[in-house]
Amino acid sequence: MTFFAPFTIPFIVGGLFMFAVVALKWSLWIVRLPRVDRRLIRHNFFTRETLIAVWEVVRESLLHVRIFRVNPLLGFMHMSLAFGWFLLIVVGWIETTAYLGWQWVPLQGHVFFKYFMPINGIVGDIHLFEHLMDALLLMVLTGVALAWYKRVRSKAMGMRRTTKHVLFDRVALSALWFIFPARLVAESLTAAVHGGGGFLTGSIGHWLQTLLGADVLHSLYEPAWWFYSTALGVFFVAMPFSRYMHIFTEIPLIFLRRWKLHPTAERKSYDRFEVEACSRCGICIDPCQLQADLGMNDTQSVYFLRDRRYNMLSLKVANNCLMCGRCEQQCPVGINLATLRLNSRAKRRNIPHEGRFKYLRGVDHSSGSGRVGYFAGCMTSLTPAVQRSMQHIFSVAGEDVWYADRDGGVCCGRPLMLSGETDAARKMVAYNTDLFRRHEIDVLVTSCPICLKVFRESYRLDGIEVLHHSEYIDRLIASGRIKVQTETRTFAYHDPCELGRGCGIYDEPRRVIGAVGRLLEPRHTRRDALCCGASLANTVIDDGQQQRIAQRMTDELVATNCDTIVTACPLCNKAISRAAGQPTEDIAEIVAKNIIV
Amino acid sequence: MAKRVVIVGGGAAGMQTALELKSRGIEPVIVERDIELGGKARGWHKLFPSFTPAGDIMRPLADRIRAERIRCFYGQEVTAISSDGVMLRSGERMPADAVVIATGFTLFDAHRKQEYGYGLYDNVITSVDLERMMNSGKVLLADGSEPRRIAILHCVGSRDEKVCQKHCSKVCCITGVKQAIELKEMFPTADVFNFYMDIRMFGPGYEELYREAQQRYNVHFVRGRISEAAETINKRIQIKAEDTLTGRPLKMTVDMLVLLVGMSANYENEALASTAGLSLAPNGYFKANDSFLGVVRSEREGIFFAGAATAPKSLADTLAEAALTASMVDEYLKNRYNEK
Amino acid sequence: MRNLNFGYGISRPRAIDMDNNDLRKSNAIIHEMPELQACIGCGSCTASCTAGGITDFNFRKLHTAVRRGEYRGAYEELNKCMLCGKCRLVCPRGINTRAMVMLIKRKLGDY
Repeated sequence: MTFFAPFTIPFIVGGLFMFAVVALKWSLWIVRLPRVDRRLIRHNFFTRETLIAVWEVVRESLLHVRIFRVNPLLGFMHMSLAFGWFLLIVVGWIETTAYLGWQWVPLQGHVFFKYFMPINGIVGDIHLFEHLMDALLLMVLTGVALAWYKRVRSKAMGMRRTTKHVLFDRVALSALWFIFPARLVAESLTAAVHGGGGFLTGSIGHWLQTLLGADVLHSLYEPAWWFYSTALGVFFVAMPFSRYMHIFTEIPLIFLRRWKLHPTAERKSYDRFEVEACSRCGICIDPCQLQADLGMNDTQSVYFLRDRRYNMLSLKVANNCLMCGRCEQQCPVGINLATLRLNSRAKRRNIPHEGRFKYLRGVDHSSGSGRVGYFAGCMTSLTPAVQRSMQHIFSVAGEDVWYADRDGGVCCGRPLMLSGETDAARKMVAYNTDLFRRHEIDVLVTSCPICLKVFRESYRLDGIEVLHHSEYIDRLIASGRIKVQTETRTFAYHDPCELGRGCGIYDEPRRVIGAVGRLLEPRHTRRDALCCGASLANTVIDDGQQQRIAQRMTDELVATNCDTIVTACPLCNKAISRAAGQPTEDIAEIVAKNIIV
Repeated sequence: MAKRVVIVGGGAAGMQTALELKSRGIEPVIVERDIELGGKARGWHKLFPSFTPAGDIMRPLADRIRAERIRCFYGQEVTAISSDGVMLRSGERMPADAVVIATGFTLFDAHRKQEYGYGLYDNVITSVDLERMMNSGKVLLADGSEPRRIAILHCVGSRDEKVCQKHCSKVCCITGVKQAIELKEMFPTADVFNFYMDIRMFGPGYEELYREAQQRYNVHFVRGRISEAAETINKRIQIKAEDTLTGRPLKMTVDMLVLLVGMSANYENEALASTAGLSLAPNGYFKANDSFLGVVRSEREGIFFAGAATAPKSLADTLAEAALTASMVDEYLKNRYNEK
Repeated sequence: MRNLNFGYGISRPRAIDMDNNDLRKSNAIIHEMPELQACIGCGSCTASCTAGGITDFNFRKLHTAVRRGEYRGAYEELNKCMLCGKCRLVCPRGINTRAMVMLIKRKLGDY
């Protein structure tokens, strides 16, 4: 048998086109990878990581386990489409082999097997495969039905808002929605004409037989297969340019990630894997406070990645992000959304002139001496209670402290990085690193989570342990170097983005608060904590908009009926104090007030 | 029978309104949250621009209230207002033929500007603290010594969107000038620096007083808002500002920093307004019916305003306005009961 | 006297010549972020400025000059800014000063 019929042409052409484009994309991206990344691939290829990646592909690309965690129904929808389709292909393959033995069958022979061999049932006449294939088709159809339902009522899937799509997406999506109903119709008509079919197609076929005359059935037969093939063909052609490219991008991404490739402050070829791995599922929209509090609908990660992918990224979209990390926390593909957003900003002109920040040369406003350095941070000079409390704690603990910036310091560089001026930021990094080294400190304590993150991630401070003051105080209490008394107040704690999601510090502040009084948690807490809106990462929203975000998150803290709101970041402190209309306290303050001298 | 008017608040505005109403044959009843009359002006030392002791104005008012046997309820909080009476926290209803809202303002809580270190540094005080110190006859530093260098910062909690106070509190500029002069009289050798964004001398005699402060008392005026304050080891206050007239950053160490705290709308205004069906201005004060002829009328018939409940006002303005309120209430009652 | 001379060290006519200054760029900047016009010149930004504590950088004077059509040297001056954001936190008018620095640099500079 040749396994050829004219109706298969759209499928064959579409399929070949798709594989050609995908292959081209993959090879271009891989070839353009920087040498460091290519070395990483070579280095890690024959390791256990590769096997782990295989398992992850099954779990995430097929089963979509992470989406199940967001919402079970949404997870089921994605799983039934992906895993169901995958099984249809695999089981279809086995079916063909089971009937025809080990002979070469062209692709369309597998896909349109029912057309070429309408009556099978060779295996003991029990129609095992037909029932199995029908069951899988039903599974995929359930997924399609849920997808339709999601368009109408997204809330049922745990999503308040779904993604607005581009033209290619709409074409591909429409084709995708038609593929499986078309297959059902085509196979049912085949069963009606030739008999056979499983519990689904067979039954529908039987019903069609009683409903329509033989002439009608025969005249619908070929068009139905044409339609099925065309839907597939259209989908395949649109696919590499649509969001469905994620199917073929997530798989290599999972491997590359396991081989330790990651995006950096500068754009590189690897970013394409991350950008095109976005399926535009839209899970990132709901956690975004710019959406929830300000009604902005064009800047969430899904739109940012879309705009970047199609080269239509505006400065405004790139800059309009709090980088709070709430969406990244939920992204089922695990895309490094913050880093990509950052390096999108970094593409803009970056090195103004050589003499930039020359004025830093020789500047040293530090005071004191000791192996422990304290870097309050720029913002902390506007919350002097934090600085004073830290000084008090240091003195009670008998710590010799070198104060890096008590009389004015140099910015840590992160604000420049957040604005895309990575090269300029390096000068701050170099300045501060040199300062810390010259004063020979072993421990660097900072009160600003923004500084903390950059010290840990972008500074090379080997031999110097970098701590946030909440970690430092936690250690002092644990080791008995300071003792605190318990007071009767209740404290609601706000997790600063950069401290919590940014540096993974959740427990230390809570232990410290627990030592002083009773801890209360707002509705959104820990990984899920809301952003205060004052983030330096966003330069688009104005003061009133910042305030609205702060108000909504502060309302949750106030709703705990706590006596005092506590946080651990000067910027959050300012934002919450403003929204609450009364001062907010820092972890350091409540400790300093209750420290036993 | 005399018509009864409930006046919410027994400060300058409430007392003056009560007296004016009484003289028109109307029966005023004052409901005061505090345990005595006088409001914010009680405890104030001297008044601008004439340095009249506040007691000279406030004491006679309270005396006359007593002499006229005007009924006052103390320690009572009003929780709801309508044109025919008010509801008290105790659950008691107090019927009336008209109601005057004379609830005044709340002083801005200087703790909210943490960068100035109020409550944190011993020698950072507010303008209100300074009046109290002057009342007690002693203006001294925390260690009991005399200040030799004093900074007075204007606009703390006024014209500051970072603490949601967009409005100008109107009286701080002239208060700052007045206090600077008083400090100079107390400590002639001390240096006094007023840090301001704009100097707004709107009242009669104010500009003259400003000039006197500059020329006769040698008070220094620096055009720049202090951005932050820090405490030195010997408890002095180090301040940072920009001297905007020279365009250079300015740093100086002073013995005492006085924060001229502004006037905020009362927190309770929102709840009260909603019970009365009134609306508030964006800054949280009660909204007057219009800016010209209806400044003491509310959007509801039978509910009136007096004093700083509608906007920051000086004591002189408040007293003048209270007389207007009484006249408007009188007119309203006459129209209403003649019609029947 | 150097500090009174704007800090650029380039001699220029004494008066701001509003008849001849080209305000197109200035208008474009203000058009994009009208809140810059809300500045009341209190100097809080400059007083709190981290860079201003080390070098003669004065954001208030700079953006005022730019609004008057005096662009010369402004881009280079603005590159002294560390973008730390303290000024935004203290501005009593709630002006988004960081965005303003970036905007002026974008309009006057070459990026």
